[in-house]
Amino acid sequence: MNLHTIGINHKTAPVEIREKLAFSASGIPVALSSLTQSFPSSEAVILSTCNRVEIYGTSPDNSLNKETLMDFFSAFHGLPKERFSDHIYHYQNINAVRHLFFVTSSLDSMVVGESQILAQVKEAYMTAASLETTGNILNQLFQRALNVAKSIHAGTEISKGKVSVSSIAVEFAVKIFRDFSDKTVFIIGAGEMCELVLKHLVEHGAKAVMVANRNYDKAKVLADEYEGKAIKYDLLRDHLFEADIIISSTAAPHYVIHTDQIRNAIKARRGNPMLLIDIAVPRDINPEISKVDNVYLYNIDDLQTVVNKNMDVREKEFKKCQDIINKEVENFMAWFEELKIGPAISQLRTHFHNIGEEELERLRPKLRNIAQDEWEHIVYSMQRTLNKILHKPARVGKEKAKNGGGYQYVETIKNLFGIHHKDDSKK
Amino acid sequence: MINSIQSIFIGAVFFYFLDSIWEIGSIFRLEKFSKRLANFFILTGLCLHSAFLIILSIKSKNLPISTLFESSVFFLFLIVLIAVITKYIYKLPSLTPFVMAIVTVFCIASIALIRNDLILSGDLAKFWQIVHIIPIFLGYAAFTVSFILSIMYLTQERQLKTKNFGSLFNSLPSLETLDNLMWKTITFGFPLLTIGLVSGTIWAKSSNILGELWYLDPKVLLGAFTWLVYAALLHLRLGAAFHGTKVACVTIACFIIVLLTFVGPFLMGSKHAYVNSSIILEQKIPPDDVGMAKIEF
Repeated sequence: MNLHTIGINHKTAPVEIREKLAFSASGIPVALSSLTQSFPSSEAVILSTCNRVEIYGTSPDNSLNKETLMDFFSAFHGLPKERFSDHIYHYQNINAVRHLFFVTSSLDSMVVGESQILAQVKEAYMTAASLETTGNILNQLFQRALNVAKSIHAGTEISKGKVSVSSIAVEFAVKIFRDFSDKTVFIIGAGEMCELVLKHLVEHGAKAVMVANRNYDKAKVLADEYEGKAIKYDLLRDHLFEADIIISSTAAPHYVIHTDQIRNAIKARRGNPMLLIDIAVPRDINPEISKVDNVYLYNIDDLQTVVNKNMDVREKEFKKCQDIINKEVENFMAWFEELKIGPAISQLRTHFHNIGEEELERLRPKLRNIAQDEWEHIVYSMQRTLNKILHKPARVGKEKAKNGGGYQYVETIKNLFGIHHKDDSKK
Repeated sequence: MINSIQSIFIGAVFFYFLDSIWEIGSIFRLEKFSKRLANFFILTGLCLHSAFLIILSIKSKNLPISTLFESSVFFLFLIVLIAVITKYIYKLPSLTPFVMAIVTVFCIASIALIRNDLILSGDLAKFWQIVHIIPIFLGYAAFTVSFILSIMYLTQERQLKTKNFGSLFNSLPSLETLDNLMWKTITFGFPLLTIGLVSGTIWAKSSNILGELWYLDPKVLLGAFTWLVYAALLHLRLGAAFHGTKVACVTIACFIIVLLTFVGPFLMGSKHAYVNSSIILEQKIPPDDVGMAKIEF
């Protein structure tokens, strides 16, 4: 009974491979039921997001393992194994548990600390649970994983503080303006970053958008997308006072917005505050402007500094999260090994008693005329000896299972006495 | 000695104290100082505080303003009440850490007055007492809250300007919210101050409580000055390019004048003050005696 996970993620595989192996929302139930039909009494969960595709599985006879899971991937998606085998990672038992805890707590995510993955893991688990492809082990595993992730989010700073430039820009906007529905966003120039900030602001409720670009058609396209108005580049100065938030990112080699223009704009706005974000390099907005009352100016470095600071905080918290996870992994493994130690000990017992019986069978013909009650004494003595020998390892095994380390113990005992489960030998 | 009624107030102060610790603590370490517990502390404190004032009023069959201690406690009660209402209506959890820290300090200071025998001079007709003192106290409490909001505004404004973001940055609301609330609390306090001043004027003229030259009383003059300053602030904010930082600074300046209106008459020896009751008894003085010891709240 081993726990396996195989999968690919953004670190191991390019998007071309990930998209080929991804399961659609409707594909997951199909995949799960075909998997559990091929491997009866096995348990399985499929996690498929844009950054990772993973299968978690376990079966009592270990028929679910790396090879069979790879075969399943290949068969289900109709993709030869060679195409993806280099990108696949495989974890077993304790490593699989740790991996799932890391993933759920978003320590393995592209943006460490993001909270989306928690919901995705929960959904993957709920889907599998509703199809009854999870049993005792995966139920326990996933419920614990979700709890660990929740306590990590609540108890550490791993998900505090934004870590992208555009979200920091929005964070500043949120600390200046209460409500965006009556605010006007003025985009000067173009570029991905401008659009990203604009998109975030629109999500926060910003309605009015103005766009100015040297290329009027480009401005028109972006303005139309957000139902805003395009402004002729030469006239942008006349519209500054209308804007509450200005995001500038032109390729101009000199300042586009000057101090006296903003000073006049503020006057025209009767002191209502303005937020200026200068993403351009070289800068578009004269830094002197930040001295004007009620004007808040941030350039790309200011935003990046906050991003870096928040990243540092997350990195510092990483160790703390690892400690929490290690503890929880240990707890799970103790539970898991307790499940396994019972069968292992009865295996050991059968193994010894089989040897004893073999020896007795060899002995019996040699003692031809022995009385029945004498023979029974011998048999009884042999059984007592074996039981006495087995008593201690069994007791220690149970203790180990409780305190962790039961798995290694069982493996050692098995190796020591050459006991192999018939399916173990396949590995 | 502190009697059993006064111990209710001590209890309230104790809860305010715990609340202050929790409110400020939750800014820095939310996981250790839960907001829910802080809410429990502040609401329990406020209940005890109001219970204390109600018992006092029932016992004396009067508003709880007859001694300096009572009126301080009443004033502090109004500040907490306005802050809690503002906090819930405008979903502004960051207001109470500031308010409660200040209120707790004043509450502890007011415990020192608990055994004082300073009573309000003059014969207070109940009707005038209600239409004069309650509006003015409510107005002052609103100005106190607006003063605290201004401090919050300037703190947040500094962080945004200097790009130096501390622990407070996340817990303080947006500048616009604070600016809006400053405006709301001032426009709430100003009409109340006006009502209080007008009714006080009528009362002074009709009852002759402050003598013929009632308008020269320092408290009356300072009260009128306070009114003028706030009127000017409202006028500027409505009319001119006067927003944000400047409003916050002027609000703070205005509040200093409010404080001066409280403390000033005491320094100048006004008739409009709390007098030492033992002296009154000794000298059997007429109500407009100028030579007695007076303490103004």
